[in-house]
Amino acid sequence: MPYEINRRDLIRIGAGAVVAAPAAFAVADAPKFFTPAEFATLDELAETIIPADEHSPGARAAHVAAFIDARVAEAFDAKVRDDWRNGLQLVDELSRKMHGHAFMDASPEQRIAVLTHMAKNEMNPKTPEEAFFGELKHATAQAYYTSKIGIHQEMEYKGNVMLEKFVGYEVK
Amino acid sequence: MFLPADKSDEVDLKKTYDAIVVGSGAGGGMAAHVLTSHGMQVLLLEAGKKLDINRELKSMEWPYDHPRRGDMPPDSHALSGREYTIRQPPYAQGSPYKHVYSYVEDGNGSDYAKDIVVDEKDHPFTGTQYAWVRARCLGGKTNIWGRLALRLSDYDFKAASRDGYGEDWPISYADISPYYDKVDLYLGISGHKENLPYLPDSLFQRAVRLNPAEVKLRESLTKMGRVLTPYRAGVTTDGLKHNKYRVHCYGRGACDRRVGGCDIHAAFDSPTGLIYPALETGNLTLRTNATVNEVTVDQNTGKASGVSFIDTDTGKTYTAKGRAVLLAASTLESARLLLLSKSSLYPNGIGNSSSHVGHNFCEHLMGPGVSGLDKELVGKSRTLDDGRPGSYYVARFRNLTDRNPKFLRGYGFEGGSGTGMFPDNAYGTPGFGSAYKKTVRDYAGAFIGMGGFGEVLARYENYVELDPEVKDRWGVPVLRFHIKFGDNEKKMAEDMADSAREMFEAAGIEEISVNREILTEGYSIHELGTARMGTDPKKSVVNQFQQSHDVKNLLVVDGSTHVSASCQNPTWTIMALCWRSCDHLAEELKKGNI
Repeated sequence: MPYEINRRDLIRIGAGAVVAAPAAFAVADAPKFFTPAEFATLDELAETIIPADEHSPGARAAHVAAFIDARVAEAFDAKVRDDWRNGLQLVDELSRKMHGHAFMDASPEQRIAVLTHMAKNEMNPKTPEEAFFGELKHATAQAYYTSKIGIHQEMEYKGNVMLEKFVGYEVK
Repeated sequence: MFLPADKSDEVDLKKTYDAIVVGSGAGGGMAAHVLTSHGMQVLLLEAGKKLDINRELKSMEWPYDHPRRGDMPPDSHALSGREYTIRQPPYAQGSPYKHVYSYVEDGNGSDYAKDIVVDEKDHPFTGTQYAWVRARCLGGKTNIWGRLALRLSDYDFKAASRDGYGEDWPISYADISPYYDKVDLYLGISGHKENLPYLPDSLFQRAVRLNPAEVKLRESLTKMGRVLTPYRAGVTTDGLKHNKYRVHCYGRGACDRRVGGCDIHAAFDSPTGLIYPALETGNLTLRTNATVNEVTVDQNTGKASGVSFIDTDTGKTYTAKGRAVLLAASTLESARLLLLSKSSLYPNGIGNSSSHVGHNFCEHLMGPGVSGLDKELVGKSRTLDDGRPGSYYVARFRNLTDRNPKFLRGYGFEGGSGTGMFPDNAYGTPGFGSAYKKTVRDYAGAFIGMGGFGEVLARYENYVELDPEVKDRWGVPVLRFHIKFGDNEKKMAEDMADSAREMFEAAGIEEISVNREILTEGYSIHELGTARMGTDPKKSVVNQFQQSHDVKNLLVVDGSTHVSASCQNPTWTIMALCWRSCDHLAEELKKGNI
């Protein structure tokens, strides 16, 4: 009955160089779980992972942090909330260790350096920071690529509309 | 959508129906269609609810219009593939969640199918590990099926004669071929003719188109003497003039949303394809929320007299009468029902003088497969690859002319490739920043993958029985599983992974990963056997017309009667066999032979 292999298993191993140009964007709703300071950090982390660029708006414009906040707030297992709170603290601690101040007080280059450090063993995380990066990136990707911006502007998805037929090759 | 007059909940308990059909999926829906078209008065009983399926599936809802982007509420849990292997049934036991669903809910659980599949809390089972996916609602699993619609051939029906293992079916391809034709024409099927004796063609409507990576693989496989064909989908691509509830496929997209569903009903489902048209004949009475818990017996004649059923909501029990009883409750549920129907005449369960009910279980093996990258497509403009009911199918190639020294029987592959709504490579692409975004974008349409479906041998020792203690929410004894893959399956799985890899390599598709792990028993949702057909009443439960050897007016018209699993998906065969058996039943009733 399952009609396709789990395409989420498809993993592309390649280098991901980092360019970021964070833009300020106001967040409308008050967070449901995170404190305003935590929320600001989460929002900045998400935007650093999926930034606005010349191709499309990023995680901030797509309200990624608000979606994560809503899901974490209602999570069935309280441990999920603890893990996210602890994870954000780990980011600040790492930033202090590396640059002498909390993540939000660091410069854009320093923030990227913090994330680069957390992401260095992405396929095989070893430290708690590295594990949190995996969680953070998964949640960011899920929220972004299911958002209006992610689907229509970033991926330019053309489906889910009335079409005459699939454009492809007839088997001869 | 206009629905036919609804006579639900109007069961006339005093009346003797010509036939009572238990279950409303592929088998039950087909039985209702064929018997009512013979002018018979039919009572169709479905254990689950009647859902407004369009409202459930919301096929075209954008993820961002759903508060959890399609996921279930936090108090609901979908079993993960891993949970089936590290825990023991009943899987919901001790779970803190309010609702527990099968793996088919995928990942965080799909909010669109939680009313279709059963809550494991209400429907426990015991014994060996098994990923049992059950859909209790009008139409059953046909509401969410994978749509691959394949025929079996004499390579399957006469497999025992070919390799010496197991039993032949009591029919050959020539017996069932006209009925496959009827199913094709009545329900619609999309595909491309290949003239393969081991995978017979259907009467196809327009085929699904292939994308560039699939064309490349097809051409490479042709050189190896293997066949990649466009997904043979139980989907009408040209439309059906005789059915006003279904619209032809217009490649709209989002077809690969997990748990499927098609709210224009281009994809076959039992309600719009079979049951609504049957209701229009005026010969069908439909009763949902009716959990049948026993086939009742006339102590004088030994024949089935009807069924007893429990109202799912109120718990009240009723008895309905019929001249014939047809079970189509799904393979394992039909076996359960036969075993539950104990009486002084049939102390072992009705139709079970052979002691073969529940035994000779078979299914499809899943897990091994390959995923790869077509480098030529990286950065190219993306095709809309989920605007089709499926991608491609690679036909069986083992043990046809050669004889593999390591294992019996064969396997095929179901494939997928290209762009969907969600770029699945977003999770696996390393790094972050603009470069990450670009990589996800450039590679999203360039992946191709396939997973095997292999024949699991029918073995007497793979069986289900009634648990002596555990009961479901309605107080009905549950099934206890004794089902384990054997040596043939393990060796076949190794070969599946090797051959998958070899085919991608030959086509110049860069290998990303090869999966060698076998998924838990049951994962394919192709459970078969447990009440098999045969000529010998000592070794089989029903005859070639799916009539009980012991009780003439009792039929089993679902996958439980399959003698062997073949490696081809079973839905089309279930319906073709059922049509043939119902034609025979109608004739026998007219002749007064039953």
